[in-house]
Amino acid sequence: MINSKDALVLVLAGGVGSRLNILVGHRAKPAVPFAGIYRIIDFSLSNVMNSGMTRVGVLTQYKPLSLMRHIGGGEAWDFTGRTRGVKILPPRTGEKESDWYKGTADAIRQNIDFIESNPSEEVIILSGDHIYKMDFDAMVEYHRYKKADVTVGMMVVPMSEIHQFGAGIVDKENRIIDWEEKPEIPRTNLASMGIYIFNTKYLLKTLHLSREEADFGMHILPRAIQNDRVFAYPFYGYWRDVGTIQAYWEANMDVIREDSGISPQEWGIRPNLSADGRPMDRAPARFFSGCTVMSSMISAGCIIEGTVENSVLSPGVYVAEGAVVKNSVIFEDSFIGKDAVVDLTICDKRVRIGQNAVIGEGGDNSRPNRNFPKHLYTGISLIGKETEVLPGMKIGRNCILLPKHLENDYGDKGEVVDGESF
Amino acid sequence: MFKPSTLAMILAGGRVDELGVLTYFRPKSAVPFGGFARVIDFALSNLLHSGIELVAILSQYRSYSLINHIGTGEAWDMIGRYRGISILPPFKDYENPNWYRGSADAVYQNLDFVQFHEPSEILILSGDHIYQMDYREMIKFHIAKEADLTAAFIEVDQSKSHRFGIGEIEFENQRGGRLVHYEEKPEKPRSNLASLTILCFRPRVLYEILAENQKQESYEFGRDIIPSMMQRNYKIYGYLHKGYWGYTRTVDEYWQTSMDLLGKTPRINLEEWGLRTNLDHRNIRDCQPLLVGSRAIMDNSMAYNGCHIHGTVRNSILFPGVTVEKGAEVIDSVLFFNTIVENGAHLNRVVGDVNTTFGAGSQVGGPKTDGSGEGITVVGWNNHVPDRMKIGTGCTVYPQLAEERWSIDSLRDNEVLR
Repeated sequence: MINSKDALVLVLAGGVGSRLNILVGHRAKPAVPFAGIYRIIDFSLSNVMNSGMTRVGVLTQYKPLSLMRHIGGGEAWDFTGRTRGVKILPPRTGEKESDWYKGTADAIRQNIDFIESNPSEEVIILSGDHIYKMDFDAMVEYHRYKKADVTVGMMVVPMSEIHQFGAGIVDKENRIIDWEEKPEIPRTNLASMGIYIFNTKYLLKTLHLSREEADFGMHILPRAIQNDRVFAYPFYGYWRDVGTIQAYWEANMDVIREDSGISPQEWGIRPNLSADGRPMDRAPARFFSGCTVMSSMISAGCIIEGTVENSVLSPGVYVAEGAVVKNSVIFEDSFIGKDAVVDLTICDKRVRIGQNAVIGEGGDNSRPNRNFPKHLYTGISLIGKETEVLPGMKIGRNCILLPKHLENDYGDKGEVVDGESF
Repeated sequence: MFKPSTLAMILAGGRVDELGVLTYFRPKSAVPFGGFARVIDFALSNLLHSGIELVAILSQYRSYSLINHIGTGEAWDMIGRYRGISILPPFKDYENPNWYRGSADAVYQNLDFVQFHEPSEILILSGDHIYQMDYREMIKFHIAKEADLTAAFIEVDQSKSHRFGIGEIEFENQRGGRLVHYEEKPEKPRSNLASLTILCFRPRVLYEILAENQKQESYEFGRDIIPSMMQRNYKIYGYLHKGYWGYTRTVDEYWQTSMDLLGKTPRINLEEWGLRTNLDHRNIRDCQPLLVGSRAIMDNSMAYNGCHIHGTVRNSILFPGVTVEKGAEVIDSVLFFNTIVENGAHLNRVVGDVNTTFGAGSQVGGPKTDGSGEGITVVGWNNHVPDRMKIGTGCTVYPQLAEERWSIDSLRDNEVLR
C-alpha cells in the first residue's frame, strides 16, 4: 500500500534573508530565534513531524553552521530511527553539474541523487522560514485525489501584498490555469506559500528539461501550468513569511496576543533546547517583588526586577530594577541594566544595556534608517549580538548597532540619533 | 585506561507518611520541587558536578515515576562507555524472598552489582535532600584519613536535633575529625550535628558490616550500621558540610523549603547550583515560554515555561502548565504541573499536586493560625475542587477523589477529605 507518510520532504533553508539585516549577520534566516525558545525552522520541521513524514532533507547554503547545530541529529523532531532521518544537504563541488545553489529549483536539481536514493511517490518541497501550522498528510491526500502532477499550497492575502508572492489564477476545480510571479498589477489575491508537492517521477522529469530553469515560481510552475495538472491547495489560518524586520516583529507580537491565532505549543511546535548546550538547564523564571509584567512572553531562566510590557523574552534575560522593556523582542542572556529603557527594539543574544541607557523611547519614528530605509522605517531599532550599550547612552529609533561593539569602540560617542547606524 | 572509581548509590525507595498525599503515587525522591524539577535531581546534579558518573538508584515504593524521570540518565550526562545510571529494584531469587527491608538491606541485596564494578569508594546518598555539595572534597578527606567510613554532618537548630542522626566529632581541623559518638533520633541530643545521610565507605568494610547486619532484625544505615560500626571500633570520620540543607519530610517542611527558593537572594539558588532535570519527563521541553496577560500581577514568585498567568500570583512557585485565570489569586503556594486556578478562586498557603483544578470562586487555605505548625493545606492530584468550595487551613485532600466525595459545603481547618 502506498502511504502518504512515505513522501520525501525537502526543506529549502539556504536563503540569505538579507532583509532581516543584522539578525542574519551570522546565521541563516531559518535559524533566527522566534517566540522566546524557538527558531523559525522549528515550525516547518514540527509540521513535518506532526504530519507523520519521516525522511527529510534540509538544503542549506548561507551560513549554515548555526542551523546545522540546531538540527543536530534530528531527535527533537523524532527524526531518528531505523528508517527515519534528517540530512543536511549543502551545495557540493567535484561532481557533474555541481555548483552553488542558484535558486529553489536549481537546489533541488543538484540533489536529484538524494531524491533517487530515497524512493517515494511524492516529494514535498517546503520553505524553512515561515510561521504556520499545516497538515501535509491532508495535502498529499488532496494531491492524490486531484491526480495532480503538482500541488501548490496557496492562501488568500490582501491585494496590496500580492506583489511579494507568486499569484495563481484557479478554475472551479482549484486547478491553476494561470500564474504570475510577483505581479505589479494583481489579478488575484491567491498567493503561493512556497509549499509544493510534486509527483516524484514528474519532478525528476521536469528538472531534467533545462538546467537554466533555476526557480520554481519563475520557471518550473508556469510551464507546468501550461502543460500539466497543477492544483492549488487552499490553506486557511495563520501563516507569516517573517522575511522582514517589520513582519518578524509583528509575528512575535502576535504570539503574545490572545486572539491572533498563533500558539506554538498548541500547534505542537517543538524547539530544540539543547542545541546550544546551556538552555536546557534553565531554572523557572523569577519575578521579584515590585516587578511589573504585562502582556508578555517570558522564558525560563529570566529574572525580572523591573517592568516588562508587550515583549517577548528568550531564556536568561535579566531586567534589572527600574528598567523598562516594552514592545521589544530580546534574545537569550541579554542584560538590561538598572533604570534603562528599551522600547520597540530587537536585541540579539547576550546584549548588555547599561544603566540609564535609553533605546527608542522619545525618538522620532518617521526617520527611516539611512543605510537601510527599506528594512527599518516604523521605528524598530536593532542591537547586534553581544553588543554593549554604555550606561546613559541614548539610541534613537530605526537605529542599528552592529554586533560585538564593546565599551572601547564608542570613544566619546554618547548618542546614536534616529535613523543612524553604528 | 580511565574508569570511574567511586560508585554512588542513591537511596530512593522510601515514602514518608507525613508527606502524605504527595507520596501517594510516587516515592519521596520523585516529588516535584523547584518549579520544574524533582527532589532527587539535587543529588544527581551534585554527582554530575562532582564528576561521579557511575550511579545506582535503589527504588522500591511506586518506582514508575522515578524510573520515568531518570530515563537514560542522559540529562545528567550519565550515559557513555563507563558512565551510567542503573536502577536497582527489589527482586526475588532462590535464597531471598524479601522486599528491601531497609536501606542497608537494599544495598546488601545488590552486592553482586557493587562488587562487579570494583569501586574504590562507595558513596551512599539519600535521594531526599535539597542541598549542593561537591562530593569530591569529602572523598578526598576520606582517602586522606584512610577512613573505613566518612559520614557528612551539618549544623542544625539544637531544638530540631532529636529528629536526625546526631554525631559528635573530635575536630582535627575545620573539615572534621574522628566520629566519637553517634545516635539516631536521640531523645537528648548531645550535639547539633545532624547526619546528611551521605556516607563514604571503604568497600571491603561495607561488605563485612552488611553481611554482619543480616543477622539482625533491622537494616538501616543510620539506626543500625553506623552504631554497630562505632561499637566495633572501625575508623569512622565525621565531615562537616557547610551550606544550605533542605528537607521535605512533612508537608509543612516541604512548603518551608520551597519558600527558600524565593526572594532576591534565595537560599536555594537553582542557577548557581546548576540544577539539572530530565526535560523529557512530562515533556516539559515542549512547553512554550510562559504567557503573562494584560492584567496579571507577578510578585516574588517563580514560574516555568508552559504557564498562563492572567490573575495575581504572590510568593508562589508554579510548575509547567499552571493556569491562573483572570481574577484568581495564588498566595504563598506551590502548584504542581498543569494545575488550573479558575476565575475568582483564592489560594493561600496551598500545596496543590498535579492536574488539579480549583473551581471558580473556591477558597482554599488561609493565613497562618495560632495552632502548631504552618497549617499548609495540601490537595492530592487529579482533583476537581468544586466552584465556590471553601477549604480551611491545614486540610488534607486525598488524590483523585470521585465527584460524590465533594458533595460537602466546606472543609473546616485541619480536616481530611478522603
